[in-house]
Amino acid sequence: MTSFQSTLGEEEGMAAELAENQRAISIAEFFEKNKQMLGFNSGARALVTAVKEAVDNALDATEEAGHLPDIYVEIEESGNYYKLVVEDNGPGITKSQIPKIFGKLLYGSRFHAREQARGQQGIGISAAVLYSQLTSGKPAKVTSRTQGSDTAQYFELVIDTDTNEPEIREEGTTSWDRPHGTRIEIEMEGNMRARQQLHDYMKHTAVVNPHARLELKEPQEHFKFERATDELPDETEEIKPHPHGVELGNVLKMLEATNSQTVSGFLQTEFTRVGKKTAESVIDEFRDRHYGREMAWTPPAAHEDGDVARAVSKAVSNKGADATAAFADAVAERVDGMDRVAHTQLARFVDEEAAAVEAEHGKTFGDTVRENAVEAAWRAVTGFDPDEPDQEPSEGIVADAFALADDATSTRKDDETVRAFAERLGAKFVPDPDDDDVWRGRFTHESVRGFVDRAADMTEEREDATFGDTARENVTDAFWRVMVTVSEDPPLVSDLVGDRDATSELVEGMRATDIIAPPTSCLSPISAELVEAGLRKEYDAEFYASSSRDADVHAGDPFVAEAGIAYGGDIEAEGEADLLRFANRVPLVYKRGGCAITQTIKGIGWRNYNLDQPGGSGIPNGAVVISVHVASTNVPFTSESKDAVASVEAIEDEIELAVREAARELKSYLKKQQSMRKRQKKQNVLADILPVMASKVADVTERGEPEIGDAMARIMNNVLVERDVEENDGERTVSVTVENHSDRNESPDVTDIVDCEPRDVDDAATVVEMDGEWFVKWTPDVESGDEATLSYTVDAEASYDLSVSEIEGPKLTVNDQ
Amino acid sequence: MSDATDTNSEAQEKLVDLAAEFYDQFERGQIPEMRLPTRTKSNIVFDEDKNVWVYGDRESTRSANSVRGARKLLKAVYTIEFLAQQLEEDRSSTLRELYYLSESWDNEEAQFNGQDESNNLVEDLEIVSDVKREDFHMRPEESGAKVMGPLLLREQTQRGDREIHCQEDVGQGGYQIPNNPDTIEFLDNDADFVIAVETGGMRDRLVENGFDDEYNCIVVHLGGQPARATRRLIKRMRNELDLPVVVFADGDPWSYRIYGSVAYGSIKSAHLSEYLATPDAQYVGIRPEDIVEYDLPTDPLSDSDVNALESELEDPRFQTDFWEEQIELQLDIGKKAEQQALAARGLDFVTDTYLPERLEEMGVL
Repeated sequence: MTSFQSTLGEEEGMAAELAENQRAISIAEFFEKNKQMLGFNSGARALVTAVKEAVDNALDATEEAGHLPDIYVEIEESGNYYKLVVEDNGPGITKSQIPKIFGKLLYGSRFHAREQARGQQGIGISAAVLYSQLTSGKPAKVTSRTQGSDTAQYFELVIDTDTNEPEIREEGTTSWDRPHGTRIEIEMEGNMRARQQLHDYMKHTAVVNPHARLELKEPQEHFKFERATDELPDETEEIKPHPHGVELGNVLKMLEATNSQTVSGFLQTEFTRVGKKTAESVIDEFRDRHYGREMAWTPPAAHEDGDVARAVSKAVSNKGADATAAFADAVAERVDGMDRVAHTQLARFVDEEAAAVEAEHGKTFGDTVRENAVEAAWRAVTGFDPDEPDQEPSEGIVADAFALADDATSTRKDDETVRAFAERLGAKFVPDPDDDDVWRGRFTHESVRGFVDRAADMTEEREDATFGDTARENVTDAFWRVMVTVSEDPPLVSDLVGDRDATSELVEGMRATDIIAPPTSCLSPISAELVEAGLRKEYDAEFYASSSRDADVHAGDPFVAEAGIAYGGDIEAEGEADLLRFANRVPLVYKRGGCAITQTIKGIGWRNYNLDQPGGSGIPNGAVVISVHVASTNVPFTSESKDAVASVEAIEDEIELAVREAARELKSYLKKQQSMRKRQKKQNVLADILPVMASKVADVTERGEPEIGDAMARIMNNVLVERDVEENDGERTVSVTVENHSDRNESPDVTDIVDCEPRDVDDAATVVEMDGEWFVKWTPDVESGDEATLSYTVDAEASYDLSVSEIEGPKLTVNDQ
Repeated sequence: MSDATDTNSEAQEKLVDLAAEFYDQFERGQIPEMRLPTRTKSNIVFDEDKNVWVYGDRESTRSANSVRGARKLLKAVYTIEFLAQQLEEDRSSTLRELYYLSESWDNEEAQFNGQDESNNLVEDLEIVSDVKREDFHMRPEESGAKVMGPLLLREQTQRGDREIHCQEDVGQGGYQIPNNPDTIEFLDNDADFVIAVETGGMRDRLVENGFDDEYNCIVVHLGGQPARATRRLIKRMRNELDLPVVVFADGDPWSYRIYGSVAYGSIKSAHLSEYLATPDAQYVGIRPEDIVEYDLPTDPLSDSDVNALESELEDPRFQTDFWEEQIELQLDIGKKAEQQALAARGLDFVTDTYLPERLEEMGVL
């Protein structure tokens, strides 16, 4: 006994000791010890992350203020450290906010906003501040000037890691030549080993934000990325949560916070895409789970045993024969009109018919009367005899159960087994006046499944038959389908607040209801046009394609996938294609292998799109750049560092569709190139052969060289443009003819540059004079197989220069005599 | 000799006309092309008037529209130039020489890839210009067949005219038909018929046994697929000397074709059938029925033999009762026999029994 007690004491002592040592750790301390989680694990990486945080903020802020972003990034060597400066032309930050934003971790407006924002991707600029103070010891220097103010605010600050509060070392105003914006200067340990990643980050940011002007100046290089459009991306709206995307914990909080009193109101106000009807559907689902459904039985036919009319009239007393009869008949008629009827429906019929009879016959049918009527009718429908204790299910119930079970189970089960099963199952449904729910036949789906299980088990034992899981499921579903949702009002919001179970049922109901996808006004996709523009300005390629999918939804969060392809030109042809990944307009620079975007690209059969792909899978080879952008209110990432998109089927499917759309265009382009090449080859060979043939033929026939231009044009399926000059009394009539030998209609832009003023020019052409030369411009529409002629006159010997555009090179033959 | 010059200049003119056609096509802005009848089995029709098989109406076009066609036309034009030149100089060359010559042509595209190609092209030009290649002064490799029999003829050679009797003035081998048999003039003959024999062995047997003497016939050794010269001479003997012609070959589908080219004309030179074919030449044997009747030593039909036989059933030239019956029979028995197999019945069986009996049956003897 003694030893036991002393052991106890020891344990207590241990716990107390341990308790003493426990204390809360501040966020900042946590960061200090877990830098890698936030992208600050190595010096090289740290630099990239710091730039990323600052640039993201700058982009978000300037966009929100409605300006076209102009961002300057400078990295300078400063002794053992690197000085990073990021300057933007944003709206600036107010004096009170500056210390918090830069000097306090996890402070920001972005985290909870349900709209697409870059800022979601990072822990914030304060992390960069913390890192730099930890490594260099120097404070961060922030200059910011808000629009309309005369001076700029200047702060030098560090973060107090114990309290996670800013510690201001210096504060004041200063003059600044920028009218508005923010400048941050931090000194940190780092190294430029991540130079390539840094360049990639800036360049890719430029690609995916064609409205921004970016500049990067680092010790070895200086890049400027000009903007390709003056259009700001559409503003995003914050949207309310979608019922499919909220967790139980959140819903409880929302219930507490809401002003609505009813569940219906709560659903409609606090969620997106929920109107009155949807709210009702959700509540129905809730009812099924919370209250259960009521079993509906086939009512007996008139004049059978258990005639509803008779039962009802017996239950009603002192209302006079007429009224009673009318009432009873009316109720019976309502019941007759139903294939199946449940208790709750009966109650409704009685109420409605009672009110009608009251009006007609002037007799009051009070609550008690109505209740009795309902009970009586219900007894009639279920075949329940109130005088018999412990009864077996009525014939009617068994017949009903049999019908349902038979239908639901496979034909291989023999009738007897099913009948026995139905009997047992029916027994569970026998009304019990002592239990309200059982009386009304009100059960949850689980309970019904329970009945089925028990009946099935018994049947398996007694009848030696098998009742497998599928059969049980089917029977349960068959019953559930005919069971009717009750019409009870759901509890009030205030009741739900404390009731975890009921709220959980509500959340389940929300998930089970079909609700339209959330609106996409919270998203700001780049758009196919600008995806292409972005690629165009950074890559000198010969072909560009882009696509932007319609928004889709995953776990209640809307998302959009977009893709772009650039091919050929200056893009390096050797080696793998360049893959640019973006999430919410932020380039993903690390963890390429683990990213869902990469996996999706690898899984596509690129050979089908005329690219080289050894083994039929993996990143294709060639002079290709593929860019993929996923925009969402909540992009799923594989880890906290948010470098790679997590593998989510819905998102991967959309990415694949977007990429394939762009790839299809690439395929047509490449095919066309191929056929152009073939054509060119044919052209080259024929250009060799035909003149020789013509020459030989001239030799043999002893004639001069024949004219082969026309024949060549025909052979090449070309468009032939030639000029003919006819002289007549010192006047020269010039006719320019376009012959279309190809199989398509063409509209070439023909320009004849004459050094003598042309007169009597056909109406179809325009003449522009410049520096003593006349430009006769003409754009005829020439159908396949047809020709068109333009004529004009000149006075004297003139020299001409014919040029044609809008027809691809190999298809054009120009005879300029 | 003026004849020769006439033919020369006529041929030259036709060649130049061909070139001019291309020239005009260029000038007119048309795509140069050359059209000729399709030279396949499916385009052979029987000409009722001339009794021979000629090309039908289907045409093939060589057009400069495609790389392939342009190359063909280029080669054609180069060849035309060469032939015209050759005629101008009154020289001649072989088909094989033409092929090699093309290797020296300045333009690579104009060079022939093989002799088949140049042979075919010359035939094309024959058809399109309506001039025989002999008149282009183009000779094939194969020499004409050898002739043994009571026939006196005069041949115009480069070295002067020669009078030759095909029994008395020739050696054991017989008289060699020249490349252009139109240089031969028939002076006199004592023959009753012409027998064209496929194999050298059988021809020697006939000569050794004095068959030509005994039966007054002209034995022509075909030597396999007969050259144009041979066929031409046979036809002339039939027409000018009014001598019935019979063909004696092995009993297999290839030999039937040999008969076919003598009697019907060949598919390749159907444009010259009128000039080369002897429509009423008859087939002596070996017939499949002989294999059965004389129980000859045989070989089984190979797959290609069967294919050839079946192909012959589709060949319009063999769609007669006689041939259909014989070919079906052969397919049935699945055997073939050489003509020399008759030796199984004794060396003299062929000249003592087989031929006399058969020829009498046929009304030749």
